[in-house]
Order: sequence, then C-alpha cells, then structure tokens
Amino acid sequence: MTNIITLCEQGIFKNRFIVVALFILATFFLGYQASQLKLDAGFEKNIPLNHEYMQNYMKHRSDFGGANNILVSVCDTSGNIYNKNFFDTLKNVHDQLFFIDGVDRSLVVSLFSASTRFTEIVEGGFSGGPVIPANFDSSNPNALKLVSENVEKAGIVGRQVSDDFSCAMVTAQLLELDPETGEPLNTLEFAAKLEDQLRGQYENDRITVHIIGFAKMIGDVANGAKDVVLFFAIAIAITAVMVYLFSKSLMLTFLPLLCSIVAVVWQLGLLTVMGFGLDPMSILVPFLVFAIGVSHGVQMINAVGKRVVGGASVLQAAKLAFTSLLIPGGIALLSDTVGFMTLLVIDIGIIRELAITASVGVAVIILTNLILLPVLMSFIKLDDKYIERFAGKEQRSDKFWNACAQCASPKTAAAILSVTVVLFVLGFIQSTEMKIGDLHAGAPALHEDSRYNQDTFLITDRYAISVDYMSVLVEATPESCTSYEVMNAIDEFQWRMVNVEGVQSAVSLASVAKQVNAGYNEGNPKWRVLPRNQQTMVQAISRVPTSSGLLNQDCSVMPVILFMEDHKAETINRVVDAVKQYRQEFESDDLKFQLASGPVGVMAATNEAVEAAQTPMLFYVFGAVILLCLLSFRSLRSTLSVVIPLYVVSILAQALMTFLEIGLTVSTLPVIALGVGIGVDYGIYILSTMSDKLKEGMPVQEAYLIALKERGSAVLFTGITLAIGVSTWVFSSLKFQMDMGILLTFMFIVNMLGAVVVLPALARMFWYKQCK
Amino acid sequence: MQWYMNTKKLIRYVAGITLLATQAQAATSWQAKLATESLLLDMSTFDNHLVVVGERGHVLLSEDGDTFEQLSVPTVATLTAVDTVGDDIWAVGHDTTIIHSADRGQTWQQQLFLPELEKPLLDVLFFDSQHGIAIGAYGIFYRTQDGGQNWTVEKHPTLLHPDDQAYLEDIRQEDEAFYQTELDSIMPHLNRVSLHDGMLYLAGEAGLLAKSEDMGQSWQRMEIDYMGSFFDIVFDGGRLLATGLRGHLFEYVEELQSWAELDTCSLASFNSIVPLDGDNALVVGNNGYVLSINGTVMSQERANISANENCVTGQQLVLSQTEDSQAIINATLFNDKVIAVTAAGIQVLTQD
Repeated sequence: MTNIITLCEQGIFKNRFIVVALFILATFFLGYQASQLKLDAGFEKNIPLNHEYMQNYMKHRSDFGGANNILVSVCDTSGNIYNKNFFDTLKNVHDQLFFIDGVDRSLVVSLFSASTRFTEIVEGGFSGGPVIPANFDSSNPNALKLVSENVEKAGIVGRQVSDDFSCAMVTAQLLELDPETGEPLNTLEFAAKLEDQLRGQYENDRITVHIIGFAKMIGDVANGAKDVVLFFAIAIAITAVMVYLFSKSLMLTFLPLLCSIVAVVWQLGLLTVMGFGLDPMSILVPFLVFAIGVSHGVQMINAVGKRVVGGASVLQAAKLAFTSLLIPGGIALLSDTVGFMTLLVIDIGIIRELAITASVGVAVIILTNLILLPVLMSFIKLDDKYIERFAGKEQRSDKFWNACAQCASPKTAAAILSVTVVLFVLGFIQSTEMKIGDLHAGAPALHEDSRYNQDTFLITDRYAISVDYMSVLVEATPESCTSYEVMNAIDEFQWRMVNVEGVQSAVSLASVAKQVNAGYNEGNPKWRVLPRNQQTMVQAISRVPTSSGLLNQDCSVMPVILFMEDHKAETINRVVDAVKQYRQEFESDDLKFQLASGPVGVMAATNEAVEAAQTPMLFYVFGAVILLCLLSFRSLRSTLSVVIPLYVVSILAQALMTFLEIGLTVSTLPVIALGVGIGVDYGIYILSTMSDKLKEGMPVQEAYLIALKERGSAVLFTGITLAIGVSTWVFSSLKFQMDMGILLTFMFIVNMLGAVVVLPALARMFWYKQCK
Repeated sequence: MQWYMNTKKLIRYVAGITLLATQAQAATSWQAKLATESLLLDMSTFDNHLVVVGERGHVLLSEDGDTFEQLSVPTVATLTAVDTVGDDIWAVGHDTTIIHSADRGQTWQQQLFLPELEKPLLDVLFFDSQHGIAIGAYGIFYRTQDGGQNWTVEKHPTLLHPDDQAYLEDIRQEDEAFYQTELDSIMPHLNRVSLHDGMLYLAGEAGLLAKSEDMGQSWQRMEIDYMGSFFDIVFDGGRLLATGLRGHLFEYVEELQSWAELDTCSLASFNSIVPLDGDNALVVGNNGYVLSINGTVMSQERANISANENCVTGQQLVLSQTEDSQAIINATLFNDKVIAVTAAGIQVLTQD
C-alpha cells in the first residue's frame, strides 16, 4: 500500500506541470459542458413508478388523465363574477390556456367549454344546453343573468364557480409529451408560460389569477431555487473569511476554494455529459460538493502548513501531505460517495438523480482536492512571516487540545458515555414518533406564505373542491356500469369512504347516475337511487360522458374520487387503510377496488415508498461505512468508535425532525444518508492518526492528544465550514431547502462533536487496558 | 399435496361463509357517522319524538331535534316516507319495502320487500294502528287492515285521466288480461296522500289531484288546468293547497269549484307544503327554495332571489333560498323549530 502511494506521489509530483495542464484542459471542457446545463423537472421523477399504486395509476392514466393537472381560478376583486370585464377575461384565459403547448386540449374545462352544460326538468322531460350559449354577449346584462341561472341549473357551483360567486375555474390536464417535439414536456417552460401568459397578462386591479397544480408548483420551486446562486455566493464569502482566519495566508485561502469550485464545475459538467439536467429538488448538491471540497482542502493546507512550520520546504510538505492524506481523505470521500450511492436503492427517480449527482460530485473531489490541491500548493512560497504567525498559536492551542483530550480520561469518558446513552434513549423514543410524508397544508416544498400556497388556500377555501383528492380505481368487466350489483357496490363503498374521517366528499359514476335517475323522474329527490332496471340504468349512465373522468370507454373502470380534507400522512394512512378494509366487503373476482390515482394517491405511494426505503437505506449506508472503516483500520474497536457516535447522531436527527414537525419525505429522506456519509469523515481523520499510535500500545489519552494536535483544528474547522455552508439554506424561499438546511447543519455540527467528544470516550472504553 | 388441496377447499368454504354473512348483514342498515348528512326524504312526529327516514335504510330518531340516533333496521333500501300512530312507526321506500316498529323504533320487522317489481313506494298513511295505505310509482297501492301483517294490492283506475279511463274500458271489453297489463303501465306515479277531516287527498304524476271520502276505496279526480306533476296536497288553515313541478302552487277556490294558481316566482319544483302555527305555512323545494305563506320569512336565505326579476310573488308569499341550495324534501315544526330534511341531511330553518 505504502509503495503504491509513493509511486503515485513520484508520478504526480515529477510531472507537476503536466498534471496541472490536464486539470486545466478538463476544467475548460467540463466548464463548457456545465454552461449547457439545464434545470429540469418532471412529474414522474417524483413518484415511485414501481409501487403497486403507481402501477395502477399508470395502467389507467390514458383513460383518466391522472394526477398532472392545472387549476386556474380567475377571481373578480369586486366579489361578483357577473360582469362584462370578468367574462371577457375568463374567455381569454380559457383560450390562452387551450393554446399553451402541453395542455391536453380535449380536457380544458371552464364555463366556456362546450361540455359545460345544464339540464333542467320541464313538464314532459328535460331541457338543457350549454351554460354559456353560442350567442353570448357579455355586454348584455340579460345574457349575464341567463348565464347565472344556467350555472345554478348546471349544479357546478363549488366546482367551476366558487361558492361565493367571486371566482370561476379553468382546469386542464397536461400531456406527458410535448406534441410539437415528441420530447417529454418541459415543465419549467410550461410553468413560465402560465405565469407570463395567464397571470402576467390578465391579473390587474379588478381580476386576480390563481394557478395551482404540479407544473406550477415545480415552476415556483425552480424560481425559488434560483436564490441558490445568492446563497452560494454568501457561502463562498463566509468560507473564504474562515479559511483565511485558519490559514492566515491569502494563497492558502485561495487554493482550496479554487479546487472546490473546480470540483463543482466538473460535477455540473459531468451531469450534462451524462445527459442529466439539474432538478430544482437537488439543486443543493453543488453546495454540498463545494462544502465537502473545502473541508478536505482545509485538511490539506493544514497538513502542508504544519510541516512548513515544522521546517520542511513547501514542495516536501506538499508531497508529505499528499501521501499522508491520500488514504484517510480517499477513504472519507469514498465513504461519502458510497453513502450517497446507497440512495440508489430507493425507487424514486428524483432520489436516484440526487444519489448520482452527489456521488459524482464527491468522487470528483478526490481528484481536485487530494491531487490537484497538493500539486498546486507545491508551487507556492511560504515565507518566514507565515511561520512566525503560527509560532505562538501552537502553544495556545495546545492548552485547548489538552483540555479536549480529557475526554479520554476515565472519569470524563464515563460521564460522556452516560450522557450519550441518555441522549440516545430519549432521542430513540422521540424518533419513533417521526411522521412520514407532508405534515402541513399546501405544497410542502414551498413556504406557507408563498403565492402558490396562498392560491391553494384560496381555491380550497372558496370552492367545494380540493386539490387533495385520491381516486380508487374500480376495475370490473366491460359494460359493468349497466349492472345494478356493480354500481350498488361502488355506491355503498363510496358511502363507507365518505364516512371516514378526513374524507370531505366523494363522487363516482354511481353517485352521478343516482342524480341523473332523479333527473329522469322530474327531479324528484325520492328517485335519487340506482335503478334495478337495466334499461333505466343505461339511460342514466348514457348522460355521463367519458370526459367526466368517471368511466372509461367500455365502462370497465370507474374511479371513486375521494376529496380529502388535507394530505397529512395520517389522513392518507387512515383513508388508505379504510379503502383496504371496506373493499373486502365488496370485491369479487370481477370487481376490484384498486389504489390509487390522483395527487393524494401519488402521495400515498410516495409515503409508502419512503417509509419502506428508510430502514434499508440506513442499513446500507451504515453497512458501507462499517465495511470501509474495517478495511482501512483493520480493527473492530476503531470501527465501533467511529460508527457508534454516527448512529447516535442519526437517531438524534430523527428526533429533531419529530420535534420540528419535519416529515420524512422525498426531500428529507436523503438527508440522513448525506449526514452519515459526510459525518464519518471527522472520525476517520481523527482515528487514522490515533489507531496507529494505539496499535503501538500508546495510552488512549496520549494518542488522542497527538491526533488532536495533528488534525483537531482541521476537524473543528471542517465541521464549522460545512455547517455554515448549509445553514444559509435556512433563509431559502423553499420550505424543503430550509428543512434540509436545518437538518444538515445539525448533522454536521453534532457529528463533529461526536467525533471530538464521544469518539475518544468510546476509545477509552474499548482500549481500557491502555491507560496510564 | 392432499393437505394442500384440503386447505384450499377449506379456505373456499370459509370464504363462502363470510360471503353469506356479509349478504345477510347487507340487509341491515349500516351505521354511518354521517347518516344525519345523507339524503333524507321524510319525517314524522309522535309524542315528543321526531323520526326521519332516507337513503340506504337510514332511520333517525330524535327527542330534541338536535341529536339524532340512527336506528338499526332490516333494510338498505332508500326509504321515501314514514308515518307514525301511537308507538307504531311504518317506513316505506324503494324495492317496494315496508318496515315496521311497534316499540318506537327499538325493534323493526320487514313487512314487504318486492325488489323484482322495480317500483318504489312513495308515501304511507295510517288512519289508526290497524288501517293504512301505502302508495307509489306506476299507481301501486297497498292497503292493510291488520297493522301491516298483510298488505293487499288495490287498483284505482279512477285516478287516471278520463281519456285514459275511456281508452282502458274499450280494451277491457276485448281482453281482460291485456287490460291489466296496460293498466299497470299507464297508471301515474302516486306521490303523496294527506288526510283532513275524513277526506283523503292525493297528489300524483301528470296533473293528478284526487280526493276520497272513504279512506281511498274510491277516488274522484279533481280537475285542474295543469299537466305537470304534483308532489303534495294539504288542507291547511282553512284552505286546500297543492304544489309540484317547476314552482307551481295552486289553491282550491271553493266558490268557483276550481284551482287558482299562485305566483311563486320559482322554477324549482316544490316537494312539500309544511303547515306551521296559525295560517302560516312553508312550501319547500329543490335548490333550497323556501316559499313562505303569510309572512313567515325564513332566514338562511342567500337573497330574496326570484327566477325572473320581473316576477312578483302573489300576496303574502315570500320566496327565499337556503345558503347551500340543497333540495329540501320536507319539513316540520318540532320543539319550536322548523326542522327540514334535505338532500344533505337535517337542516334547521330559523324564522326571522
């Protein structure tokens, strides 16, 4: 092993100029690639496509559109829609939405669509027509009056017109592929068009436009994600100041920052090369890469600086730093990479992308910060002044390190371990309470006061509909909607579900057929039943078009749409459990009640996938870390000393999530893997020095003191740098970035404390024979 | 292998039993938290109790008009009407269902259940604890003389329009069997009966209003110049009122021996006439419309909406609409409150 490293060192440092030139070339190439990088978001990436529910959803998507829809509520600030200006605007919004590429034009619905009809009962039968007649003239008050009557007759108040008559709705379904290009629909471009062409064009003093739906949400997330550039600048500035305080040399500040930025450029460039875009959900990864790069760069300048102060030439010091850090640095970065790779086991596209993005980034750091950085450093000159600056500091910090080393003294170690056990037990109890899924109303990625969430609240408030709905797909034999038994089963199932807490209302072909049947009987509510007579049933159902989304062409599939009060995980679980319970009563070989479509169906699947992934993910990430530690230390005791604090911290992080009401979601699930992957670095750096000494039989406290003097300042500094880098996210306009920021800051700081405080105490216990 | 097969059989056997069990269970109404918010269609009061019936075999009982208890009854059919005499309750509905309780709703028996007829019963009226009638779609008419132990079918061709009666008589001369079939198919829906001072009144499909002096043994049609359906006919406050399709309301003028139409300004059908105290009454209907007669104005109205701005309601009539616009099927004065049954359950209409 040592030979290989020496060979590497000779090969690299003899050809310093070639190495630098190669890096410059690669940086130019990948820099160009990085400039081509596009933000990229897709609906299907966010859902677990192989989950049973999503398989059902995909199977019937062509018939029922599915979950990717857009709701545009146009509101009149005067509180009443029946005026010329409003109807002209509504018509324009309808037409505009119709012509935006990516909209399924057959499924654009508003008062102005031909499918919006009313029927009324007259002596001797039905009369009816479009709610807005063909000769509608918005400037004629009588025409508006007529429309207002038709709206009532059509029974669309609460759905297409708000309960208080202050708003009207235009809804549309989105296509998965852009019809022009045949490529997957560019959701972000689509969202931008909604903002410009609908809100930008039509919102004014008298009209407000409220847009919700996945595409709009992800567009708003992407816009919020652009703040990241600002955070990135702030993080670089803070880090630069910190590194300067640490290194007291402009050059030594500049180089690790430069190498870390090179790593980010490479990572972004490689994404383009591999054909990926940067998803708004994983836009924070470049941050992490930068922060990790800096933390390893600091280890490098620390090593070089110490040796120069010790009297070596800069070149010698750089070579030595390279050889001494390649193994621990390499192992640490490798474990980061492996930690991220474990996220690949989770079958959700976006998490896999995050795993790839992050592991590529960290792998790149091995090249830029463990090879390029020492090579670049070998070119610089450190004068005597530099050495003088450190002379006094060493003494001062020695006192501090002596104090720290007390952690490995018997009494302190026992106290630390007791406190750790107590924290672990309390944390463990709290962590079992951790909730899965989104805990708050509105789009969880965004803050509650964001325009998108305000629009969501307005729409759910003023209309009887909810964006939180789930479809139970009833699968039967073709033409089974003419069967009284099947329809009655659907109706009874629906009634059971409506009675479940959290379900606001429900609609299905059966419930609509009952209304139509009453309609055929002069609107008499006493006839609001399913007819046993097959002809009568056919008559009732023939008035329900497939565009209603309540049946497919041959009515072999009929969804029961459940409108929910919210999409909190416990609500979803309760409803899903109720579906599973009640369907047993009605299912037969020819009649299945399948979960699930609709936005909440997707959430149910995602929650289940996330919950199912959590334990294996921790298992894999710890497995990988343990394996790497065993390989590098060849000691079970060393491995346990590193891993136990990590495990305690990951449990505490879960407890923190419970405490802060952060649910385990697609965006927070990776945090623990990231935290463990990066957190292990501290332990590895400290123990790599310590374990050699311990093997020689040195007392624990002494070995730890040596390790602290060698690596302690770099470890403390690394933890603080990483934490500062991610803590800026707390100010993000995106809720999930804030959550991730809080959790990662916590994990970085507490993992560092774990490595500095708990690790020596554990070592003291494991090597109890090696005392003074 | 043998064991495996047996297990499989056993599972099938057990599954069969469970299926039977659920079918048997299906006949009993399902206890629903939201029964009070379901489609409720009729109500009746007895001895400080209010009983309400509606869809899925929902029967609700209340002592105060605030809290309702859902009773367990042996049917899941939609119940359209209820009547009470003393401790007896009868409820009728779809699938030609009649259920009865002799103990104020504690226990129930099914007296009639004929789903193969595909005809719903729409109203029930008991004259005393033994004698009563149940009427419904396509002219079905049942009578009991023994508290519902036995229900016998009656046919009343006299309820038909005179032209139809003449046509049927012609057929009868030639073919008695064909006459019966034709009679069954031509008979109008019988929607409502009410009793006042020994006189039975009936409202039905296609302009049918009739009265009977002998508890429905024989009927005389009351001529009226309107061919739409009637959903209720009530003698109240010294006058006879009939109401029905598309907001039509008529008052019988004794002196002229004919019906006079009142302007309601509603195009929504009225389902029931609800006598209140004194001369006051309400007419309740679809889309949450409430017409007050003699000035009892109901609040909860969204506005004093009339279907046509140029329309002026008749004297002492005020039209209003409930906020949720749900169809109101019936209402009653109970515990000084006007309690209504609507498509969205129990609702209290408060007087201004």
